[in-house]
Amino acid sequence: MGGGTSGGVAARHLAEAGFKVVCLEQGTWVDPGDLPGNKPEYELLGSKNWHPSPNLRGRREDYPVDTTEADLPVWMYNGVGGSSVLYGAIWARALPSDFRVRTLDGVADDWPLTYDELLPYYQAVEREMAVSGVAGNPAYPPGYEPPLPAAPIHRTGRRMAEGMNRLGWHWWPGTNAIPTVNRGHEGKCVRYGICRMGCPEGAKSSTDVTHWRDAVALGAEVITRARVARVTLDERGRANGAVYLRDGVEHFQAASVVLMAAGGIGTPRLLLMSASDRFPDGLANSSGQVGKRLMLHPYGASVGVYDDDLENWLGPAGEHIGSMQFYETDTARGFVRGAKWSLLPIAGPLEAVEKWTDKGSMRGEDFWGEGSAARMKSFVRMLQWHVVPEDLPEETNFVSLHPSLTDSDGLPAAKVHYRVSDNTRKIVDFNLERSLEAHAAAGAGDTWIAGRNFMTGHNTGTARMGDDPATSVVDRFGRTHDVPNLYVIDASVFTTSTGVNPTATICALAKRTASHIASNAREQEISS
Amino acid sequence: MSAVGASQLGDESRARLAALADVLIPGGDGLPSAGDADVAGQWIDRALGANPDLVDTVVHVLTIAGAPEDVIADLRLHHRDVFDRFAFAVGGAYFMNTPVRRALGYPGTAPRRLPAAEGEAEYYLEDDILSPVISRGPVYRHVPA
Repeated sequence: MGGGTSGGVAARHLAEAGFKVVCLEQGTWVDPGDLPGNKPEYELLGSKNWHPSPNLRGRREDYPVDTTEADLPVWMYNGVGGSSVLYGAIWARALPSDFRVRTLDGVADDWPLTYDELLPYYQAVEREMAVSGVAGNPAYPPGYEPPLPAAPIHRTGRRMAEGMNRLGWHWWPGTNAIPTVNRGHEGKCVRYGICRMGCPEGAKSSTDVTHWRDAVALGAEVITRARVARVTLDERGRANGAVYLRDGVEHFQAASVVLMAAGGIGTPRLLLMSASDRFPDGLANSSGQVGKRLMLHPYGASVGVYDDDLENWLGPAGEHIGSMQFYETDTARGFVRGAKWSLLPIAGPLEAVEKWTDKGSMRGEDFWGEGSAARMKSFVRMLQWHVVPEDLPEETNFVSLHPSLTDSDGLPAAKVHYRVSDNTRKIVDFNLERSLEAHAAAGAGDTWIAGRNFMTGHNTGTARMGDDPATSVVDRFGRTHDVPNLYVIDASVFTTSTGVNPTATICALAKRTASHIASNAREQEISS
Repeated sequence: MSAVGASQLGDESRARLAALADVLIPGGDGLPSAGDADVAGQWIDRALGANPDLVDTVVHVLTIAGAPEDVIADLRLHHRDVFDRFAFAVGGAYFMNTPVRRALGYPGTAPRRLPAAEGEAEYYLEDDILSPVISRGPVYRHVPA
């Protein structure tokens, strides 16, 4: 269910293993020629048809997400490749401590698996996703070697790296799922700097490029414009397929095993829509945890203005450099857990304007009007840090079915209930303050906090992974506790959100579950 | 989307748009004003074509009577959402103008193909700039088995 990031990884693996794979995807294939990044209107197209908010895109295949009771917008892309079409392709494994937050910090829960258990799957998907970077990052255990050479950190990264060295703080050249050499279906990065609008060069590892084409060549079938209405069960309570709508006509797709891959909002929505006499509160929801514990990453951003032209529009975007200096817990700071930083290009002048106009900007002056020319002239002399905080699970943050709003097929929209927790806010505040110090050390003459809570596509935790069926939805292999042939393979299963961009972990978990299914097919219970 | 598309803006509306846009972008420091950059001509058409959701706002603002400075000041003070959307449309149109983009330091009319040169990645890491990071050793937290 869903032709996105995790679905692509699993579909290709299972097709390679000889399984018959059918994917129901509500969106369509992306034609790279339609992507805006090399067109003069690129930023305006990115504010509408290619915006990461489904509410702003408003296409037939975008189900609405009610965020009137949320502190930040919720982003996703509905189509083959899913949110990887519009992600920045920053590639960051979770750290060993991320899997043990209860043990180490006394909060949330430990994952039912460890970094070392996931490591071979990280390594496998890093090859599949053409990850580029520099080996030996001391923020990770030894042996982290991205398969492709790193992109240049450019004068942006160099300038900031010099500042970080003055402070004695960790930094490392960017690790991105962006190929630096031609390979497979992908071209080498040409540094348009617009990765977050999709790459018109096909040089960013979105799974429509890296996985789905191969999966289809191996026999997998992708049924596009297929909006799943509900997952169905046989008389023994095994998942036996799904009812979906295509052009308003109802169809049924039979299946022996069902994998949910609709993302941290879409998967709980579908499970809740699949309520039945056997599961009146939603499919696989005997724990009551489906949709609960939604974790987002309420980003913070800071900027500095420097004396010289830093060509801050040059890609990849992707990160030029990253920092894990303040990632691990230091209780002296007044909170637990931490944040990853990414130094990112600014794709163009409209994005630069947002550094003044974003509701979270602390600049304190209007952009437009008298003096705007001087402000515009500073655009290419700006550097920006993005701060990704770990967001711990809260029972009060959750996804539910909307009581009245529907998608274009009349199915219930999603409603997101989300408030930034005190701990998360403290993480962001602390890290933004430190990032201003980094700008100053790098020589910025003017620095400010440019945004809070302005985005996240990191929708995690709504079908939690755990060993206890009473408190979790899936087991350590992504199989639902309630239905033995129903798996969840997307970011819904995250036990905790980690403080890094989630795609590496999404892909590794999907690979691990697909490998488990393929390796244990003889023991797998299937529908009748 | 409004029934009144950008391409249907008449001369009078475009003159009004130029006057209002000049309040937002008066130019200077080597940059043209919005009017001089033809924001009210081809660029607003392209901007609204790329994001039709902005059409209604632009058309609405053009109907507000008053001196341009007063209209913009009132929107800024009392109708911030309208102001922000109008400014976004005008700015989006302005930043498509190629001489403006060049004056700001952007490479041409749109992002350009600029693949990395041989040795460029190594060049930016010269002078052992990573050595201090490596010499400080691991910064991750060890987890008991």
